[in-house]
Amino acid sequence: MAKSRVFLFLLVLILMGSDPRNSAALWAQMKGVADGKAKAATPVIQNGIPAHPKDLAYAPLHFVPPKREIYRHVLSNGVVAYLVEDHDLPLVNLSLIVRAGRYLAPVGKEGLAALTGSQIRAGGTATKTAEVFDEAADFLAAQISASVGDTQGGAALNCLSKDIDEGLKLFFDMLKNPGFQADRLALAKSQILQEMERRNDETPGIESREWNRLMQGEQHFSTKPSTKASIDSITRADLQAFHKAYFHPGNFIFAVSGDFKTTEMKRKLETFLQGWEIGKTPVPEIPKPTATPVPGVYAVHKVDVNQGRVTLGHIGSMRDNPDAYALTMMNDILGGGGFTSRITSRVRSDEGLAYDAGSAFGLGVYYPGVFRASFQSKSPTCAQAIDIVLQEINRIRTEKVSPAELETAINNAIEIFPRYFSSAAKIAGTFAADEFTARPAGYWDTYRDKIKAVTAEEVLRVAQKYLQPDKLAILIVGHLDDIMKGNPDKPQHAIARLSKDGRIQRIPLPDPLTMVYPKAP
Amino acid sequence: MRQTLLILLALLTIGEALWAQKVPVQELILDNGFRLLMVPRRGDPNVAAGWIARVGSVNERPGITGISHLFEHMMFKGTHVIGTQNIAENLKLIARMDKVRAELRHEEQALMTKQRLGEVSDIKDPKVRSARHNERLAEMERLNKREKDLTVKDEFDRIYTHAGGSGMNAGTAEDFTVYFINVPANKLELWFWMESDRLLNPVFREFYAERDVVHEERRMRTDSTPTGKFEEMFNAMFWESSPYAWPVVGWPSDLEGITRDEALDYFAVNYAPNNLSACLVGDFEPARAVELARRYFGRLPRGAREPEPVRTQEMKQLAQKRMIAYAETKPTVVIRYHTVPEGHKDAYSLDLLADLLNGQTGRLYKSLILQQEVANSASAQQVDQKYEGYFSITGVAKPGHTPEEVEQALYKEIEKLQKELVGPRELQKVKNQNAAGDFRRLQSNFSLMVQLLVREAYRGWQTINTGPTLRQAVTAEDIKRVATQYFSAENRTVGLYYTKQTNAGEEEPGLAGLDDTEKQHARQLRAAIGHMKIDQVKAMLGQIEQQAAAAPVDKQKLVGVIKKLLTERLRQLEGGK
Repeated sequence: MAKSRVFLFLLVLILMGSDPRNSAALWAQMKGVADGKAKAATPVIQNGIPAHPKDLAYAPLHFVPPKREIYRHVLSNGVVAYLVEDHDLPLVNLSLIVRAGRYLAPVGKEGLAALTGSQIRAGGTATKTAEVFDEAADFLAAQISASVGDTQGGAALNCLSKDIDEGLKLFFDMLKNPGFQADRLALAKSQILQEMERRNDETPGIESREWNRLMQGEQHFSTKPSTKASIDSITRADLQAFHKAYFHPGNFIFAVSGDFKTTEMKRKLETFLQGWEIGKTPVPEIPKPTATPVPGVYAVHKVDVNQGRVTLGHIGSMRDNPDAYALTMMNDILGGGGFTSRITSRVRSDEGLAYDAGSAFGLGVYYPGVFRASFQSKSPTCAQAIDIVLQEINRIRTEKVSPAELETAINNAIEIFPRYFSSAAKIAGTFAADEFTARPAGYWDTYRDKIKAVTAEEVLRVAQKYLQPDKLAILIVGHLDDIMKGNPDKPQHAIARLSKDGRIQRIPLPDPLTMVYPKAP
Repeated sequence: MRQTLLILLALLTIGEALWAQKVPVQELILDNGFRLLMVPRRGDPNVAAGWIARVGSVNERPGITGISHLFEHMMFKGTHVIGTQNIAENLKLIARMDKVRAELRHEEQALMTKQRLGEVSDIKDPKVRSARHNERLAEMERLNKREKDLTVKDEFDRIYTHAGGSGMNAGTAEDFTVYFINVPANKLELWFWMESDRLLNPVFREFYAERDVVHEERRMRTDSTPTGKFEEMFNAMFWESSPYAWPVVGWPSDLEGITRDEALDYFAVNYAPNNLSACLVGDFEPARAVELARRYFGRLPRGAREPEPVRTQEMKQLAQKRMIAYAETKPTVVIRYHTVPEGHKDAYSLDLLADLLNGQTGRLYKSLILQQEVANSASAQQVDQKYEGYFSITGVAKPGHTPEEVEQALYKEIEKLQKELVGPRELQKVKNQNAAGDFRRLQSNFSLMVQLLVREAYRGWQTINTGPTLRQAVTAEDIKRVATQYFSAENRTVGLYYTKQTNAGEEEPGLAGLDDTEKQHARQLRAAIGHMKIDQVKAMLGQIEQQAAAAPVDKQKLVGVIKKLLTERLRQLEGGK
């Protein structure tokens, strides 16, 4: 019946065509399909349209990545700035990297780093109240921001190029002389505490918090949560001290792009930085985690949700590992390459068990990243989807990937390579980040060759070396009763079978303000 | 790279009114009605490419809600050429699947009848299925497997991925469905091949399996988020008669029932070339794109009939509506007013009015957050849609304050806009921000491509150039007028969210038998007595015992719970000594 419907549909299409050539072309196209399949050797081309896209011919595409040195400028005080002109639009985009991070907050003052970042922007300056500063920035339509993240701080300015002098004046006043106005700090604390109370509301937040604790342990700075007590204890003086210690030109790298002349921008930056002393205290090293993750099945119970969030994984590797290229291709094929990758294809398109399913192999700059496969599936089918992911992890460790899969992964990596440099802002930003993380010079020049050199044997080798099924931790967040019940139509898949002793370690929800975890039932 | 190139966007003279910038779009209209927009901009060797169908959930009707979005998923399933090893065999299988699906539908409807009569409580329970039902399910599974064996898995994605396509995705909204990707500059013809092929010869493979993916998407976005279900309910309550009432993802029961026939009917009208626009932004030669468009999209036959505009208009709201929800979220108020659709002359004034309220120097921040300290955040927005628009204001109460207090404070700000003219400097500030924003949103090729397409779904790409001028022309009098015209009490719908305590699902001891509001009171009290000293607990317990008898009958349960909580805390404190 449906066959006739489909043909009826085609017929309608043809009858509707105002130009009789349309119908002819359509049938020719249909015929061409069949012929094309039968005789793959000679491409069938009808009206200039090949029967299959594999028969399209492409002009070669030559792309040479830009050179770091061309854009790198050392200012008179030794500060590095990447300056990339782009006069398409009358905008200037300045972004500053600051060597600072969450790990620098003293014990008991968790939350200080992020708060310092936001208050540098929100708290006015020594000579301008917050209200006056905000008013000036908004009237200028300048976007100004500041922040401190886990291992990197930053500040940014985006304004019309005609307003650049006024914009830079505000930006550097904020950066150098933040006012940390008391009422703005009190407001920020109130907002933080209100957010904090809601820590256990949303399953994605719970999942990422508990996953990081499982991987990095509870003692690492990256998992140390702020608490009501730590936020309450933070004073204006703490913000001032943190700012003074790390926000100085010795810790700065600039990335500026847009509508300016390089020599002029260089001179402007030098003028604004003039007389700003470079701090003496070296920035401490970023601490590595000391804990080793414990394999097992972990679960957080949450009512009122009908979908479970599942993560499986273990510790990954470092960015400078020579196997990084093979690992990236391996992960692309396993679950990182979108719809064409195995986990996505099987969990999503074959079985319809998830909307989002995939994997990432983390390559850390300061300490090893994390390998994780993850998906969200309705409670009864979580177990089935876990089994599929486990099968795929095992398969990529035991069978060589097919030439077609590898070729797709490699070709994609090479074809999308120019995208890393797709705009002036991206060029400046990429090179500034490379300098900040001490990426070896020439990295981009050899990138495509190293990707091209990856073989199926190497993918198998790194899969065997870096994917370790016996070390997997499995974290499930959702309605556990329903997830444990599983799918009555597919009783062969069961959560209880995932751990050797059938044990599931329940992680209770902590008190959101103290982050004290009650004893697990 | 970019900085060495010509200035491509003309009229860029600083000093001239900034909003005079025009995006130079070259337009091609084919005989079949298909439109192609081209903005060549050389940067990296890449082209942002996409097309839009002027159809979305607003064009649906009860029974097929969610079909636009389901369709977006189906468009990646391949064609007569892409995605199969044997199209003839594949089509036979599809016919058989449709037949089995119709029989299954029959079985499901029988179960639904039983459910209505109370004979069956869960129609998904395998135990309630008939033998015939199970047979059909087994056959469906066999057919699915056979289709899978015939399928060239994810070939559509694989071809693009292999060729260096990036950021491929699609999106469905109330008014449009859009498909987009970035392709390397030398693969432009591939884009024309792939996109025209899926418009010419689509095959809706995995038609019944894919809706499981859509259900998962719904669970992720709506069901399993603290406020998703309430937002859906609020939206459905706001619209009285307009099809904007149902969610883009559709009602779950409709998703289950949509048939392939309905999908084919929908496709024939809404995905005909006369209802489509495409757009290219990036590194390409327009002459070559025109030639390719004629060759590839020119072969699509024009639709037999033009898609009809939406017929059902929103009824005028005559009385205020309110929703009170308990959710795991911050205490929040959402206020919505019916206003005007996209392009209405008042939409520009409402846009600027929202800008006056928003931001660090906006009225809401200054008044509700800094001065009155009643809220921790607040924002406003005019939402333009094709047939109907609305204005939305949201505020989150500061701890110690209620959503109602925030609501009243928001009304005061609205009143001020209705009574006083906004000052010239304040108005100039938001106009400056708009002028800068008009440049900022042109920074990315990809984003420009999507913006032009979305404008095509409304009134045409030209509004990217005409809109800024109209926005700059708004006066203080306009703002006052629209505030008075649209922000009336009977024209609003209000949603109030109270915080429901997070719990791990372990039975909440002692709260059984209380309603949501009472549970809320009890939880708040429990949190408060956690901080109380022993004398305070004793004093409170004394008071409660004195007043217990005087409490109304329907509050006795709550009183009992409170007494129990206090007694437990007292025992705990005494035990700790």
